[in-house]
Amino acid sequence: MNTSRLPWLRPIVALLLTALFFVPLYFVLTNTFKPGDKIGHSPASLPIPPTLDNLNRVLTRPDGLFWVSLTNSVVITGISVVILTVLSAMLGHYLARSRSRWTRVLTLVLLSGLMIPPQVILIPITDVLRTLHMMTTLQGLILFNVGYYVPFGVFVFSGFIRGVPAELEEAARVDGASRMQVFWRIVFPLLRPATASVVIFLGVWIWNDFIDPFIILGPSQGTTVTTGVYRSIGQYQIDLGGVFAIMFLATLPVLLFYLVLQKQFVKGLTGGATKG
Amino acid sequence: MVADVTTPSTPVTGTGGGSRPRIRKRRRPVLPRVWHFLSFGAPGVLIYLCLVVAPIAISFGYSLTNYNPFNPPIKYVGLRNYNLLLHDQEFHTALKVTTILTLIVVIVPNVVGLLIALLLDKRGWLYNALRGVFFTPVILSSVVVSVIWTRLLDSEGPVNEALRGLGVHSPPGWLSDPDFALYSLASIVCWQQLGFCVVVYLAGLQGVPQELQEAAAIDGAGPFRRFRAVTWPLLAPALTINTVVMLISAFKMYDYVKVITNGGPGAGTTATIAFDVLATGFDSNHVGYASAMAIIMLLTVAVVTAIVLRLLQRREIDL
Repeated sequence: MNTSRLPWLRPIVALLLTALFFVPLYFVLTNTFKPGDKIGHSPASLPIPPTLDNLNRVLTRPDGLFWVSLTNSVVITGISVVILTVLSAMLGHYLARSRSRWTRVLTLVLLSGLMIPPQVILIPITDVLRTLHMMTTLQGLILFNVGYYVPFGVFVFSGFIRGVPAELEEAARVDGASRMQVFWRIVFPLLRPATASVVIFLGVWIWNDFIDPFIILGPSQGTTVTTGVYRSIGQYQIDLGGVFAIMFLATLPVLLFYLVLQKQFVKGLTGGATKG
Repeated sequence: MVADVTTPSTPVTGTGGGSRPRIRKRRRPVLPRVWHFLSFGAPGVLIYLCLVVAPIAISFGYSLTNYNPFNPPIKYVGLRNYNLLLHDQEFHTALKVTTILTLIVVIVPNVVGLLIALLLDKRGWLYNALRGVFFTPVILSSVVVSVIWTRLLDSEGPVNEALRGLGVHSPPGWLSDPDFALYSLASIVCWQQLGFCVVVYLAGLQGVPQELQEAAAIDGAGPFRRFRAVTWPLLAPALTINTVVMLISAFKMYDYVKVITNGGPGAGTTATIAFDVLATGFDSNHVGYASAMAIIMLLTVAVVTAIVLRLLQRREIDL
């Protein structure tokens, strides 16, 4: 605490702690670029000379596990996030603008969805999706994602829309625009910070999701990057380099996404912490 | 899987009490309001009802039966499943495991995260970069984190190699020894979630006015006193977010258990309720029984979250 007397103490302690915390991440980085036999006997050493063999092997697997998983993850995450943004922005608008007893009940029912563990609904979900002939399909998983994450989208959007003056919409309506036009042309562009939060969080959660694709897509119908990593630990038991490479590749897109949008990430995360 | 509560106060405080009577006075006719709901609200509500609310109702229905897809005639058994759960040793273990995990995952990242946030609460590129390192595990998939740590903590893995190098003769099998596995698992989750707490506390700390700190210093308060009297009360919203988010993510812990220990070693030493529900429902096909577990789980989550949220928010209002 007394940094005034020991000005060098804080950065050194901070660096040491961060280095210790970083060890598991270093472990993935270094072993991704190391030949398999070296991982076995010196897992902590630097990859000198570095090799791209592990990455190559994963990227050129005959069954295309990585590419299939990547395509599935991109499709599932992309479509789910777009649908969620559209539906929850509109639903959030309805809840924020039309305030009656019924909308307050509806808000409560929707927001309690924020804490429901997926395990509570997954067993009946498989029956619901089977009835819709959507079990073990990407469409089924996307539909589930939309239903399960709509509370989060509504939560962010409705809170934000309450801060947008309703007079703005009323003025445009007087000029003859329909409610839909007013919403998409005037209100939605004002919601960019909320949209950013929703896209970032839902994007990362759906990309990283394991249990839902594991159960809904099932073992036979292709994998996402996360279930791909899980399946590969069985097959690659000896090929550790391959396991590290596939983890590295599965993480790379979300890591780049984070590095590009770092500021918005932190803002979205801490909106509530600073507003009080 | 976390951050379900990023902007908690907005929807609550946003409904300014003052505006309600105004709206009520010039209530619009019914038809446009119905149309507003149908065009804007209905699609989202419909999907939510079909994929979340209905499954909960179905789950409750199943829990009153002996439903097992491979053992056809479905019979109504009333509350027998719940009765059996009361005396089920395995379920009691799962409750205990979930409670221990939840307590560790709520307390440790909160305490350590606050200390690290205090350490990193400085301007400059160095502290920004360090904050980035702490946050990175938060955006990793729990499966990736699980696989990394499974390798690291293997009885012949790097951690034990290092310990042997330091002169520890027989370091424990962190994940294979029933006495250690649960705590190893909890530590892994803490490692992943720590950055979340750090970033939320840092944002909270940056919202503490410098003048207040200085005023307290002039009044003769030392650093600890200043923290207790000024900083800590102002971090109440950050504490609420961190606690609720950790609580919700601890309750639904499944991925780590599935990938790292698969419920073992031994008899369910790391099997959480979330893990048991799916193992009973999908692997042993006792859907009725698993549904009863799921309903108990849902009620527990709802009650605990509501209580914790109320306690923490009352503290915020007391400011």
